[in-house]
Amino acid sequence: MPGSPTPLSVLGPQCDDERHRIRRLFETGTSARETLSALCALADRNIQQIFGDVLRVHNAAPQGLCLIALGGYGRRRLFPYSDLDILFLFGGDKAEQESRPLIAEFSRTLWDLGFRVSSAGRTVEECRRIEEDNAEFHLALLDRRFLAGDAELFERLDKKVLPGSEKQARPFLLAQLQKLTNERLARYGNTIYHLEPNVKEAPGGLRDYQAGTWLRRIVDDKKELRGAAAAEEELAANAVDFLSAIRCFLHYSNGRNDNTLTYELQTAASERLLGAENGTGGSRTGDIPRSAAEWMRLYFRHARTLNRQLLRYLEQKAPVPQSLKQRLLSAARGARLDAGKTFAIRDGLLEVLDLPALSDRAVTFSLFAEAARTSTPVSRDAERGIAYILTHPELPAKNKQVTWVALREILGADYPGFALRPMQRLGLLTEILPEFQLIDSLVVRDYYHRYTVDEHSLRTIEHLQELAEPPDSRGTHFTQLWKTAEQRELLVLAMLLHDVGKGMPVENHVAGSLEALEGAAERLHLSPEEKAEVHFLIEHHLDMSATVQRRDIFDAGTISAFAGTVGTQERLQRLCLLTYADIHAVNPEALTPWKAEMLWQLFVATSNHFSRTLDRDRLHASDEKSMLERVRAEAAGASIAELERFLEGFPRRYLAVHSAREIAAHLALYKKLGAEPVQTELTSKRHAFSLTLLTADRPALFATIAGVLAGWGMNIVKADAFANAAGIVLDTFHFVDLHRTLELNPSEIERFRQSLADVVNGKAPLEPLLKGRESASRARPPKVAVPTRISFDDASSDHSTLLEIVAQDRPGLLYEIGSALARLGCNIEVALIDTEGQKAIDVFYLTEQGKKLSSQKQDLLREVLQGTLG
Amino acid sequence: MMKLEAIIQPSRFESVKDALREIGIEGMTVTEVRGHGRQKGHTEVYRGREYTVDLLPKIKLEMVLPDAVVNTVVETILKTAKTGKIGDGKIFLSRVEEAIRIRNEERGENAL
Repeated sequence: MPGSPTPLSVLGPQCDDERHRIRRLFETGTSARETLSALCALADRNIQQIFGDVLRVHNAAPQGLCLIALGGYGRRRLFPYSDLDILFLFGGDKAEQESRPLIAEFSRTLWDLGFRVSSAGRTVEECRRIEEDNAEFHLALLDRRFLAGDAELFERLDKKVLPGSEKQARPFLLAQLQKLTNERLARYGNTIYHLEPNVKEAPGGLRDYQAGTWLRRIVDDKKELRGAAAAEEELAANAVDFLSAIRCFLHYSNGRNDNTLTYELQTAASERLLGAENGTGGSRTGDIPRSAAEWMRLYFRHARTLNRQLLRYLEQKAPVPQSLKQRLLSAARGARLDAGKTFAIRDGLLEVLDLPALSDRAVTFSLFAEAARTSTPVSRDAERGIAYILTHPELPAKNKQVTWVALREILGADYPGFALRPMQRLGLLTEILPEFQLIDSLVVRDYYHRYTVDEHSLRTIEHLQELAEPPDSRGTHFTQLWKTAEQRELLVLAMLLHDVGKGMPVENHVAGSLEALEGAAERLHLSPEEKAEVHFLIEHHLDMSATVQRRDIFDAGTISAFAGTVGTQERLQRLCLLTYADIHAVNPEALTPWKAEMLWQLFVATSNHFSRTLDRDRLHASDEKSMLERVRAEAAGASIAELERFLEGFPRRYLAVHSAREIAAHLALYKKLGAEPVQTELTSKRHAFSLTLLTADRPALFATIAGVLAGWGMNIVKADAFANAAGIVLDTFHFVDLHRTLELNPSEIERFRQSLADVVNGKAPLEPLLKGRESASRARPPKVAVPTRISFDDASSDHSTLLEIVAQDRPGLLYEIGSALARLGCNIEVALIDTEGQKAIDVFYLTEQGKKLSSQKQDLLREVLQGTLG
Repeated sequence: MMKLEAIIQPSRFESVKDALREIGIEGMTVTEVRGHGRQKGHTEVYRGREYTVDLLPKIKLEMVLPDAVVNTVVETILKTAKTGKIGDGKIFLSRVEEAIRIRNEERGENAL
């Protein structure tokens, strides 16, 4: 006689009472681990009872059918509103057919009792086959646990069928797990630092721990965890407890399987000191978190532990894929670095060869500089080794005072993010820049921002470095700006500091960030000019974005006012890059193509404004009292009247691109003109030279200087030519010593200066110098063809005609252009010379006998230049 | 009920939004758009490369309004979006047959 099932009217209230009891216990301090076990035991009991009842009612025997718990339920970690993942395992097709009505009734009853059943049915034979489109099922099966029914059937599956098929499917499961994990991490922007994180799925969530555990099981890693790995595992277990407590709390608070830690629930959890009171979540110093922001820092610390562990497992099992070219380059680089070195590049990752050597910070920083220079990630193992060294008391740190010169190597490299990320994880970033600690894992509640403040700041830098090969059209315009930006190290330093004020008790975060800069600049020994540049970028980091959104960027007045704030083309370039990256790093959708286009339009209009208004904005020295004082402080013994005479009539750009110290040096040269009519100053900086030349204006002066430089084999990359009201010309040429003549033969420097002065003074001819160079330099074909473009503009200046030339750069080009201008009687009032790869971009303000060029002269000049430039 | 679509200068958007909020209009759909009417584009040259801006950036506002407030909203937009220059944009009004709130299936002006 079939027995009657326990009625729902009895089971239902029993279940509800037990659920309430478990919840009450959790809310009064029972650990998440015990809560999850209790919930699991409740489910197990009900499943076993209902399954037994259903068998009895249907007068069926359990042979050929068993119930298996999978996934989290299989691991006995059942959260309050999680699904019950159950597998119905059949001995064969017949058993499957016969069990259908029974399973339907069983599932229905569980639903009625408030369990969310997520079930699958397979025969033993089906379990043997690998379903290539359902890797999740096979991964869940790794956590199988017998629930009820035919125990022998489970035994057969567990001990005979699956071990063999799982071993065979190892490569498939491993690849699928890596793919699923990488896709999941990418869905969340590959960062743990979300303002409202999902504690299950997001990087650093519980899924990270599970994926790491599966990775170890799939590769059958049975090694006992020792030393650092064992300590890491203990930290991970604490992190799992902390996150499990949060997830339980979220389920109970939301009344459903919702794992998003919203702002409201962050406040509620921090008020309850969730996870912080039992030692699992306590901060390093044992402090109790006093605010939601502090409590979130605990969350991020635990999330970081889980994420770091997963990434290390992923990296160990899957070397970074590389193209053949990358592999060859790495091999060559690795071979070069290996001998007697402390680190080397292996499989596209930087590995440490001599761990104790890294107690010297200079060595550690050279490793990070290599990462930033070559875009090579530091391996997780290397990172773990460095972390060990950093905390090992037997290896006291050497050279802990990092200099700006060393830091500049990293910040000014092409890929600074490759160094800054691991430096942040290791605490080295805050060691050299303690101000960054203010925004460590800091949640600032904001509708638009998606990441914590430190994450946002690092992302800005990563968005810039990816401009080398922009991933989408939004970055296309800005690529060239990034590649040609000067003083990138200052831009990157500004990005690291631009939001640190958000972690300070100030009303305006920009003011806070500027205050933080003061300390950083002093500690790093930034020069006054470097500090001023970073100060400007931080102070104005929101200006360009505000101008784009709140001003009419097609209005000349807007452009003129904005240009007035920015001051120079070089600064504009850095500010534009900062703005691009700052908007981009708010959230993945913040920089729409529309906004990127608007930003570009503002950049272009302002840039053109700078180059077209050079001779409109002339200096009236007597109006510049504070600047005069600053220069006088640098120039011992100079009188104000002398200084005013020198500066009167220079374009304002002169003031904008030279510091007070440089102007004082120019003044010193100016004062010596009476004794020697051509004054020069030559400085070198990283294989590049700067030449400043002062003399009275004379015909073809610009062409002559350009000719001497070409004759000596120098490639001019940038130049300014200004004249003051008294006709004194100040030309600045930045050039690259192509044949390293001056670098390898210091004695040649004096000969070079003399040669320049002699040719400019007419004491020596230019032609012999040029002759030797011509044949050799013209032989090389250009890598990129740049069509010549010549345009005249009579409207931008009241006094001069603007000539803009874009042409293929080549040695001697500027000499050829300058000579053509001189032959046709054109006087250069101002010149602005620049290069961009193999493209020369030259702007000349020209007059002919003090007036603009006639249209006939313009036509003739165009014809001559076209003939010269091709 | 009327549907209002306004194409305005991006630089006026914040002011228009604030003015509408002051008269109690909070709900609107905003889209970043490009286009041109009488205000034609222009060509900028930067470092030898031409950038033609033939479609100018604008902001499109869309909202469905009860008949009683349509005139006030139109006047507010006219007042705050106007700079007097070509390119200030346009307002389009059209009649709406029905509005339905998806959550509770309310209809008509109650759904707005």
